[in-house]
Amino acid sequence: MSALTERPARGVADDPSRSGSQRRRRTSVAAPWMLLGPFLALFVLTFILPIIVAVGSSFVRVSRKGVFGEEGVTTEFAWFSNYAQALENGNFIASIGRMLLFGVVQVTVMIALCTLLALLLESASAKWPGFFRAVYFLPYGIPGVIATILWSFLYVPGLSPIIDIAGAMGIELDFLGAGTVLWSIANIVTWTYTGYNMMIVVAQLKAIPGEVYEAAKVDGAGPFRVAASIQLPLIRPALILTTVFSIIGTLQLFAEPQVLQTVSPAIDNEYTPNLSAYTTAFAYNDYNVAAAQAVLIAVVAFALSFIFLRLTSRRAS
Amino acid sequence: MSPMTRRQLLAWAAAGGATALLAGCSTPGTVSPNTGPTIAPAAAGERITLTYWAWLKDLQKVADVWNADHPNVQVEAVWIPGGNDGGYQKLYSALAAGGGPDLAQVEMRTLPEFLLVNGLVDLRRYGADEVASRYNETLWNQVSYVDGVYGIPQDSGPMALYYRPDLLDRVGAKAPATWDEWFQVAGAVRDADMYLDCFALDDASWFAAMATQAGASWFRVDGDRWIVDMTDDATLETARFFDRAIDDGVMTTSYSQFSPAWFAAAAKDSIASLAGASWGDALLQGVSGAEGKWRVAPLPRWGSEGYGSTFQGGSTAAVLANSAHPREALEFAVWMTTSDAGIDAMIEHSGIGWSPNDAYIGSRRQQPSEFFGGQNYNEEVFVPAAKEQNNEWQWWPLTQQTFNILADGFRAKASGGTLVDAVVQGQRDVITAFRNKGLRIEAAS
Amino acid sequence: MSETRSITTATSSKRAQRLSDQQGRPGGSRGMRVLVTGILVVVAVYFLVPVYWVVIAATKSTEDLFGSNGFLLGSEFSLWSNLHEVLTYDGGIFVRWFGNSVLYAGVGALIATYLAAAGGYALAKYRFRGRNLVFGTILGGVLVPGTATALPLFLLFSQLGLANTYWSVLLPSLVSPFGLFLCRIYADATIDDSLIEAARIDGASELRIFHTVGLKILTPALVTVFLFQLVGIWNNYFLPLVMLSDSTLYPITLGLNNWRSQVDRLPEFYELTTGGALLSIIPLAIAMIVLQRFWRGGLTEGSVK
Repeated sequence: MSALTERPARGVADDPSRSGSQRRRRTSVAAPWMLLGPFLALFVLTFILPIIVAVGSSFVRVSRKGVFGEEGVTTEFAWFSNYAQALENGNFIASIGRMLLFGVVQVTVMIALCTLLALLLESASAKWPGFFRAVYFLPYGIPGVIATILWSFLYVPGLSPIIDIAGAMGIELDFLGAGTVLWSIANIVTWTYTGYNMMIVVAQLKAIPGEVYEAAKVDGAGPFRVAASIQLPLIRPALILTTVFSIIGTLQLFAEPQVLQTVSPAIDNEYTPNLSAYTTAFAYNDYNVAAAQAVLIAVVAFALSFIFLRLTSRRAS
Repeated sequence: MSPMTRRQLLAWAAAGGATALLAGCSTPGTVSPNTGPTIAPAAAGERITLTYWAWLKDLQKVADVWNADHPNVQVEAVWIPGGNDGGYQKLYSALAAGGGPDLAQVEMRTLPEFLLVNGLVDLRRYGADEVASRYNETLWNQVSYVDGVYGIPQDSGPMALYYRPDLLDRVGAKAPATWDEWFQVAGAVRDADMYLDCFALDDASWFAAMATQAGASWFRVDGDRWIVDMTDDATLETARFFDRAIDDGVMTTSYSQFSPAWFAAAAKDSIASLAGASWGDALLQGVSGAEGKWRVAPLPRWGSEGYGSTFQGGSTAAVLANSAHPREALEFAVWMTTSDAGIDAMIEHSGIGWSPNDAYIGSRRQQPSEFFGGQNYNEEVFVPAAKEQNNEWQWWPLTQQTFNILADGFRAKASGGTLVDAVVQGQRDVITAFRNKGLRIEAAS
Repeated sequence: MSETRSITTATSSKRAQRLSDQQGRPGGSRGMRVLVTGILVVVAVYFLVPVYWVVIAATKSTEDLFGSNGFLLGSEFSLWSNLHEVLTYDGGIFVRWFGNSVLYAGVGALIATYLAAAGGYALAKYRFRGRNLVFGTILGGVLVPGTATALPLFLLFSQLGLANTYWSVLLPSLVSPFGLFLCRIYADATIDDSLIEAARIDGASELRIFHTVGLKILTPALVTVFLFQLVGIWNNYFLPLVMLSDSTLYPITLGLNNWRSQVDRLPEFYELTTGGALLSIIPLAIAMIVLQRFWRGGLTEGSVK
């Protein structure tokens, strides 16, 4: 204990970037905390405390007596029964599985698309790159709810010009059926976020010095060779960043399925993990089980991102 | 003080605070508003404002009729989405946050759910017994639970058959009087490339209404536990019937009643009838080009058993737990639902389904309707229908969850399941759900 | 080397920028141009389809919406009456919703950026005990989905009496772990210790140094963090949905969905929804188009090393 309290004083004194006076040493120690303070306080309030509340709430359960609970309600410690209930809920498990499938397909497609677009836009063959960048970036500014409202009109038979046109050509399209609605949602997500991810890749592409390209030209490399051997490896950090965010985003999917629910009978109230937690809390009034679900979702998201980051950093080194 | 010990102190403070907070964080909805003393009426001359959350259209105009005569008790209406479309979530979360309105529109079927979270005021403590006689008996039964009254019936939904005589004429059919006849007409209509009706795979309430008509009564109270019987003959027969209808292709499952796709199909003359509740008349008027084309006939019967009609939907005005003026709220609710002025205002502005007052169905409803080609359909069809409903039906505390469970089972129909299986498995899942909430429940057989 | 190069690129003139862009880039033959441009045009059409649709749809009445083809104008042109309806319905609540969104997103993002910058600067430029622990915890916060914290936060705020108030949405919006992460990386890469030392010798306090020296150098990153947080809060749906039950507090996402959910019962809401969607898209669309050039700098400064 005492060794620990002494060490910082020694460290501060030995640190070459600090010079002399006692006063400066003290303010140097207080200053970072003052700068970090407001952020940390809010961070604790809005991240740490809710996690504690969620965990605490998930280990408690409410028991009712009487046919309508009119004879009393007791709150008791519940060990892992809420978690068991959450995991026994076939719908919740199905929703997680659905999101994993969704993530694997949609994230891959979106990252591939945004990389391709970024490479095309940054190549010398592209005309009006500024215009295209603006157009591709536009959907990012449209909130998911509104994007879903717009696309829902394009999916509903009777309202959708796409279905009308396809019908005139003899093709029957069903965007809201049981087998297709998941990919209709994937389409909305891809539409909204491809431009944004593309901009991240473009930013990284722009940082590649011109001499690298010159050298490649001297070596006689064609455009595809350059893309594969030079550009792709160099934009790796951007791709990793966008993929991690996309993974986290996939597990948060809520607005799109909820809005589409009213037009697609195939979407049930527990279609995605978040929807399941929301329904459990506010439709079934099972706050404790919902807390358990929230904890599970957070753990899965954290684990997936962590694993992905580990995998990619191990390959780099 | 060196930074280490100061930080230690901070860490302990944080942990202590968190633990305290955690201890204070009780689960919402665990305290009953009906155990303490009753709240006194507002003092004479005191001005109060009641808030009323509902999804009725233009409810403020109804409230304004009251407001004009009652300067000290003003009512403010706030629109929320339909109960099962997010309205109940809003109410539950407002209650959980310790707030919420004075009055709320709560469907009959959801009253027990609110009871379970101690969300409603027992109106018998504020004089509901005195007004009981003004209401339709079936409806009053549906708002009475465990020696208390928890909502004032606001409207109900006796069901009938809306149909297109011109489309039925094309196949030489008339409005069917029994469900078996209905099946035959459905086949003929299908041959002419139309559908007689649609079956909602994502909303089990319509199916429940049909089973009710056939004589089912899914839940009843026995002492301190529930008895559930979803697999009785009436329900299984109903399930088998609609299984056949869907399998034979005479009923479509790609959309449900009053969805955007349904409106589009109706406008294109692809739907020949609608087995719906009285509140469907206002919605039907939203179909483009439908003026004068629809008529109303009594609901087909299940052969010689069962009832002449059934109900779907139907709301109450309930007083919520955190209200500061339950007595005044009750007065307003009773005025709105039994006085001539109130009922007329509700029909004119809000288009309510059916008045809960047997004696007065509203002056507008006593006239023939232009939209329905001059048919005085309310007097002819709905008044008798309201008297032929299944009086035994009782609602239970997990309605949203039950209907979701059933809907999940129904959805499997698209991949080869059957409605019968859905009902059987649904009963098992419902029993589990009840037990998870700590309620006692047994299956009837 | 790469850091100085990145800074130089960010500050050089636009024309020199374009020239240096084009130099040495792969591709360039006529055939390739046509092919590439063709692909880009097709993709652009995909991105513009819903926007085009809503512009057309906002000019139609509900009957036309069902009656005519979605990509063509209907029989009547009711754009102005629809927009008038949108702006005046229910006492102009649409305008109120819009104002709420601006409050949550604009004010929220502004303060969030400032706090993230302060925190990132502190973590980058000072060595103190617990620094890695703090940074690691905050980084963990980036990986936790916001929606998993919204529910327990609601329970917490209910106990504190904050639920269903402006604060319930504003407070969580002020915290941007990713913003802090960005600012720290940027501060590490671009703020020279010597500048800070010089200021210290001149007698400036630490906070003063941060505000005058640090913030100025961090500006490109600040813009990125601000935009990121602005769009994030503007688009956030789950948090306000859980927190707010009073419709006068709704942001525009919740408000529009509120209207859309009424279309089943009252078909006139179709017009309100399409008109409202159009009006809500316009400001951010313009903002995105104009501001997309600012995303160039700051985001990957640290990663190119």
